[in-house]
Amino acid sequence: MNVQPEQTAPSAVCGLADELQAPDTLRAPASFWQRLLRSRVGVVSLMVVVLLLVAALFGPLLYPIDPTRADFRSINAAPSLAHPLGTDRLGHDTLARLLAGLRVSLLVAAVVEVINILVGGLLGLLAGYFGGWVDTVIARLADMVFAFPGLLLAILVGAVFGQWVTEHYGSTARLVLVAASLSLVGWPLMARYVRGQTLSLRERDFVLAARALGQRERGILWHHILPNVAGLVITAATLDVVNAVVGEATLSLLGLGIQSPATSIGKMIVEATPQLSQNALLVLAPAVTLAIIVLAFSFLGDGLRQAFNPGER
Amino acid sequence: MPLRTTYVARRCITMLRFLARRGVSLVFVLFSLTFLTFMIGHLAPGDPILVLMGPRRDPATYARLQHLYGLDQPLLVQYGNYALGLLRGDFGLSFQYEGRPVRQLIAQGVGISLTVGGLALALSLLLGIPFGMLAALRQHSLADRGIVSVALALYAIPSFVLIPVLWAINLAAYRAGLPSLPQAGWGRPEHLVLPVLVLAAANIGYVIQLTRSAMLEVLREDYVRTARAKGLRYWVVVNRHVLRNALLPLITFIGPAAAFLVTGAFVVEVLFNIPGMGRIAVEAVGRRDYPVIQGTTIILGIAVVLMNLVSDLLYHVFDPRIQLID
Repeated sequence: MNVQPEQTAPSAVCGLADELQAPDTLRAPASFWQRLLRSRVGVVSLMVVVLLLVAALFGPLLYPIDPTRADFRSINAAPSLAHPLGTDRLGHDTLARLLAGLRVSLLVAAVVEVINILVGGLLGLLAGYFGGWVDTVIARLADMVFAFPGLLLAILVGAVFGQWVTEHYGSTARLVLVAASLSLVGWPLMARYVRGQTLSLRERDFVLAARALGQRERGILWHHILPNVAGLVITAATLDVVNAVVGEATLSLLGLGIQSPATSIGKMIVEATPQLSQNALLVLAPAVTLAIIVLAFSFLGDGLRQAFNPGER
Repeated sequence: MPLRTTYVARRCITMLRFLARRGVSLVFVLFSLTFLTFMIGHLAPGDPILVLMGPRRDPATYARLQHLYGLDQPLLVQYGNYALGLLRGDFGLSFQYEGRPVRQLIAQGVGISLTVGGLALALSLLLGIPFGMLAALRQHSLADRGIVSVALALYAIPSFVLIPVLWAINLAAYRAGLPSLPQAGWGRPEHLVLPVLVLAAANIGYVIQLTRSAMLEVLREDYVRTARAKGLRYWVVVNRHVLRNALLPLITFIGPAAAFLVTGAFVVEVLFNIPGMGRIAVEAVGRRDYPVIQGTTIILGIAVVLMNLVSDLLYHVFDPRIQLID
């Protein structure tokens, strides 16, 4: 993937250049939102993602049923007015559990991406901008992580520290550990993207101009490099949400993810799979939700990439 | 001919230089793999010796066990011993089964995992290449669009979503009295079908996309047009000129595919109850048997590293134009 966000060079320099090269059309160039919303896929995926976020954030308010309350009168029930998606073998309402699971899955993904951006983004920025030994050290760190294929490192960390963290610091800490172990695997990719982008930005005229005007390195990084990397970072993080959600589900399958009574989309699928023959909806509901998450975030990521760099297609 | 000799000599030198450089990075990767794994295992909470001793706690047994596992030595010495042991194929002793070598525990799983993974890899190439070719040769047709959509779907669907779907279909077939497969288990050839299908699914999608885009690129080349223009038959051109060049990039697919198979092996072996490396590792997780977890991690890591090296070398053997730079 080669993502290049739009350039937001200092307007004083850029405006002059624009006047010298008379534009062919009189229309103002489309803004970021216009470009994103121009494609049907972009609009739909954005709407679905917003819906998913609303459901995750306000789900318990909109559908105020306790996901842990066992309704013994209806066990493994088919969908009804009382339980729109039926119940599981303990009489838990499937829709309520689905909303709770969605919330946890997206929360894990959000924490993963925040860590990826803070750690991977920062290290990539430093490696790309300063080069030299900084670059070498960070590259070696990334290589160490890359030595572990797939989720192996996350599995190792979860296997060794998981139970202990839950016992000593509770379930919230476990959620953070799950997210952190997924970030441990994911940050080098973010660092690599940001490093590449920073390397090319560093040589641009507007950076040279800023330096010539006497701006300090930190100011250049903060005011000139960072805004130009932001689009790439947002795009990469959006696309990586899919990896985080699926990664958490894989860890859950191995018993290393979110712990009961909390649940996540992946955990629901894993737990319901043995009861497939009795209650197919129990697997189907979270599986379809997962598919929607995967598709929506992938397409939104693609839309963002195109909106951030109008030239490339 | 002297010219030919110089050429061969030069290629040999490039190859040797490449191997040397790759050797250095291989050593670094192996060091990272073993050192991180060792450190994580060392930082593991809880005293493994106390766990091992259970209720019978006396200092003499403690000292004996500590010495048996080498835990009474400085940390770096412990790592050194561990690494030296690894070179001899010694992965230490299991915590769970007192004094039993990890190697013995893992050995049974390696072949099983290799069988499932290898078959999945072969199936993904066998199905992926023809469909990718078909899509490229009929670009923009209905078949092309259908294949591309299916490939995308296969690539995007996580295995633990695919597994319930396959199980549901299989169950329906069983109930309808149609021929069906065992849902899970190990021992008979039928047991292989579903796990291999699941493991191959995502890679099939990936191979289709790779083959299709590589074919499309080659089809646009001048030499293909020349071959057609000089009167060669369509299928001869496709076979001799297009296919050979288009399939080359597929060699690079082996590395990422191996990495994917490793994570996939965990999911598939657990859900299908296959006694491979993945399930051994997961069972060790449940029993906090760190040496076994470390051993499986290192073996799986090394397997992927070697696959990457092999795919790089093969790429060079098949296409001497490729510069061996890493």
